[in-house]
Amino acid sequence: MRHKVIIDADPGVDDAAAIFMALASPELDVLGLSIVAGNVALRDTVANACKLVGLSGRRDVPVHAGAAGPLVREQVYGKYARIGAFDDNLVRPGDVTVSEEHAVHFIVRSAREAVRSGETITICAIGPLTNVALALIQHPDVARGIGQIVSMGGAFEALGHRTPWAEFNIYADPDAAEIVYRSGVPIVVMPLDMTFQALFTPEHFDRFRAGGAAGEALYNLFTTFDRSDVKRFGRPGGPIHDATTIAWLIRPQLFTSRKAFVGVQVTGFTKGYTYADFYQKMDREPNATVVTDVDEAGFIALLIERIARHGP
Amino acid sequence: MKPIPIIVDCDPGIDDTIALLTAFVSPELDIRGITPVCGNQPLERTVRNALQVCELGNRTDVPVYAGCFRPMLREPIYGQFHGKSGLGNTMLPEPKKTAETLSAVDFLIEALSNAAETGEKITLCCLGPMTNLAVALRMNPQIAEGVERIVMMGGAYREAGNRTMTSEFNVLADPHAAHVVFSSGIPIVALALDATHQVMLKPEHVAEFARVSGRISETLAELMAFWDRNDVRRYGSRGGPLHDPLVMAYILAPHLFETQKARVFVEYESELCMGQTIADWYGKSGLEPNADIVTKVDAEGVIAFFLARLSRYAEEVVA
Repeated sequence: MRHKVIIDADPGVDDAAAIFMALASPELDVLGLSIVAGNVALRDTVANACKLVGLSGRRDVPVHAGAAGPLVREQVYGKYARIGAFDDNLVRPGDVTVSEEHAVHFIVRSAREAVRSGETITICAIGPLTNVALALIQHPDVARGIGQIVSMGGAFEALGHRTPWAEFNIYADPDAAEIVYRSGVPIVVMPLDMTFQALFTPEHFDRFRAGGAAGEALYNLFTTFDRSDVKRFGRPGGPIHDATTIAWLIRPQLFTSRKAFVGVQVTGFTKGYTYADFYQKMDREPNATVVTDVDEAGFIALLIERIARHGP
Repeated sequence: MKPIPIIVDCDPGIDDTIALLTAFVSPELDIRGITPVCGNQPLERTVRNALQVCELGNRTDVPVYAGCFRPMLREPIYGQFHGKSGLGNTMLPEPKKTAETLSAVDFLIEALSNAAETGEKITLCCLGPMTNLAVALRMNPQIAEGVERIVMMGGAYREAGNRTMTSEFNVLADPHAAHVVFSSGIPIVALALDATHQVMLKPEHVAEFARVSGRISETLAELMAFWDRNDVRRYGSRGGPLHDPLVMAYILAPHLFETQKARVFVEYESELCMGQTIADWYGKSGLEPNADIVTKVDAEGVIAFFLARLSRYAEEVVA
């Protein structure tokens, strides 16, 4: 089955890998990108998204600008906020421009059309969940039209990476995450616990270069902003969190998962903390599939293979 | 004088209905739209009630845009004093008018963006939980430029709450939305319980309204009679506080009100005090005031104002 997908993103370096991967995957019918503030400010995430779509040659995929900040909390940016807009020397500029339709409106419209057509859409959410939450609040059909939300976010045993207790996408808008988790839409959670298992090293980055202009840009980004953290991971290499969502859609057999009730702490100092009730202490029906393990070699090979498809 | 462009964001609701019926016969106001939201009743009901009230007031020319079907984060709580339908025991005819296809959020964004461009800013009359406006602001923060000011009914400062010990219904129903609105930088006039509890719609007033309001008198009297809280211990008399209509009175007869500037904060983290509104009366926060809070109302003047307005339904000076 070909998934109809909206990629909700805040590019961002690993968003770039996810977006290039999706745009080279025939299993996915990418309806468009909905862009949110997150890793960097909205102006920059939108500019970055336009560049990525341009480099991929997929001018049929619209880029929609969405929320400039979180629902309730004060704005926080990613650890690599200094990246801002991708430097032209790293990621070549193109001529793709942003669509006039607001990202939230685009999600609402696509979901409501899906209700009418009976073919639900998938949202691949790889940034803070602000756009998705704003769409869900507006009409009950939005939840009905979304078959699943595959969300890169959260951390359980892995603890946090933006703070000691929180993963960035959830920390940046915990209220939005809670709205999404409670929406009734089946949620697939791709937490740090799993994304930390697949580490990419410079040899892998070299192999991205087979992917033409897109692959070259990806190579530039990952070699410039190295995520290797031997102290944390026990070996060299860094995760490419966001791309796991796309891999899960096109090759779910690479992953292991379990069902659980998942929620977010939305108040106090530790807001953004995510919990998963793996041992049924809360007497709540599971609302999520939590992906716990990834076949590292399989995922790395798949990402490299898809990026190469951007090549000659 | 050019009429004041307004949008009525509401959740009808008996007192919303009285506010709308007043606005309908006020040529000083140019009602650009009504945006019902989930509040006193589920959305389907507040939309239906808004449509029926437009028909009752002979103002089917006013477009109705359906708003958000739930609060931002919290589960809906619904009002306790509006009966099953939201209009007490009053049965209005099945509406022929329908809601517009545009949603309330999209309408707010469109109307306020235009207003920001033309400079003809719009006054927002917020009579319910402020979910629609908060969502619109989070989608397009720049629409704040199109708002002249917000005149809102909600909150409780020196007064205790009406839905919980600390909290007034409209703010409690969506405290996150209230926080978004109070943080937006838009000028706000706040009619909280501190103001609305000063204006009791007593049984003797209801009789007068019935006498003067012509063709709507039967419906109006029935709605108003249902509004009687019959709680002398709390309110000092029979009757019900005239919450939402005060928004219209404030815009049309501001001389009847006294205000004080303060910074307002909304509690959205504590379950015990959820929805509490806190005013920094004495500059303790170090932050600039973001609201004019109504502290004193000329109750007799306000009742006389509404009697004069609603008697226009007897004169058939409608639309």
